[in-house]
Amino acid sequence: MKIVIDYDLCEGNAVCMKVAPEVFVVGEDDRARLLIANPPEELRAKVELAVKRCPRQALSIVD
Amino acid sequence: MKLDEVNLCDLDIWEQRVPHEMFALLRQEAPVFWHKEPQGGPGFWAVTKYADVVHVSKHPKIFSSWRGGTNIFDLPAEELAQVRMMMVNMDPPQHTKYRRLVSHGFTPRRIAELEPHVRELARQIVDQIAGKGECDFVTEVAAELPLQVIAELLGIPLGDRHLVFEWSNRLIGFDDPEFQTSMEDGKRAAAEMWAYAHTLAEKRKRDPRNDLVSRLVHSEVDGERLSELEFDFFFLLLAVAGNETTRNLISGGMLALFEHPEQKDKLLAHPELLPTAVEEMLRWVSPVICFRRTATTDTEIRGQRIREGDKVVIFYISANRDEEVFEHPDRFDIARSPNDHLAFGIGEHYCLGANLARMEIRVMFEEILRRLPDIELAGAPRRLRSNFISGIKSMPVRFTPERRRVAARA
Repeated sequence: MKIVIDYDLCEGNAVCMKVAPEVFVVGEDDRARLLIANPPEELRAKVELAVKRCPRQALSIVD
Repeated sequence: MKLDEVNLCDLDIWEQRVPHEMFALLRQEAPVFWHKEPQGGPGFWAVTKYADVVHVSKHPKIFSSWRGGTNIFDLPAEELAQVRMMMVNMDPPQHTKYRRLVSHGFTPRRIAELEPHVRELARQIVDQIAGKGECDFVTEVAAELPLQVIAELLGIPLGDRHLVFEWSNRLIGFDDPEFQTSMEDGKRAAAEMWAYAHTLAEKRKRDPRNDLVSRLVHSEVDGERLSELEFDFFFLLLAVAGNETTRNLISGGMLALFEHPEQKDKLLAHPELLPTAVEEMLRWVSPVICFRRTATTDTEIRGQRIREGDKVVIFYISANRDEEVFEHPDRFDIARSPNDHLAFGIGEHYCLGANLARMEIRVMFEEILRRLPDIELAGAPRRLRSNFISGIKSMPVRFTPERRRVAARA
């Protein structure tokens, strides 16, 4: 599973980090980052929830 | 009720209540409904389902905030040109650039740093009324905290802050005769606010501080400083948006607790529920009722053909009661989870101040419920006459006066 973060949109609301802490972290610079480049399929449901919940809609799964 | 009785532009109704029965009917029978404008105008598509509000919000290239602005009614060309200087009426990529100038001031980390100070402000606000046993909740409690906080973020000195309150009322209350006699007075309020902002900007140019005005006068977009007009509108947007909406949420949330005493008791018994209670207040009140977009191309929403140039109005207040998304949407449930409401919008224009607002609301209620637990309604609340901002103008409350804290400590 491949995830893209749109840095024009991400403002570090950290919702993704709460929903899928295995995959996302928000750093000191208030930007979301991936902890694993290609998260395994078993995390798909969590990642999809993070994509849906991101208030700025900055995340997408591109597979 | 039938579809031809739906009238979301009848401000007499909004002054009395939120017409939830109209929205329920629209969601059921005509989720993308062609709504006439009885007071003049070409009409608009009323979008009332959650999924469709999200769809429109996520496609700013198709549904533009810039093309026709974000008010339901059309503005004359000259005024449209002016309001387009506010972020709320911009599209990406322009919107992205302007938003970046200030967004760092509103991140969760920055907001967490502000919390102790906001708590102190909330404490002082409750100190002012706690001994009285009664007050007007809107002006003496709900309005104070957001006003103090945004004024501080902007860099407005303590003594001048009530000017912002007055200007803000006159600007946003354009439909309400109590706040303003005419559109003209709204313009005068804006002019007064700008004159003030200019003076402040000049001071910060010479002597920068750690506030948003200092940041704005020293920042650049595409290598150029903000023009005077751009600065004016930035100031106005931050001052008004950071003020009115949070006030109405605190008042509306308090009213929801009054109207659901079992939920208020539950919250008093379980203060740890406050974070979910705040989200439920946001869903329940939806202080911003709607925003308008304009279609930039022929498109479809839920199979309904939309033509280029059509007005599309997304009703957050309806999406937040969508039966397909929320279980028992007409039940006020402070423990509701999940609660993916759209009170702050979603996507490009997601409320910049959402984290700040959440924190202010939580801290304010912590103080109120801890110190005035038996607070109750003491008269009828009066609603703002508007189909844009769901607001309360005044709400008398009473409570057992707090014993003087000094005395209690002695």
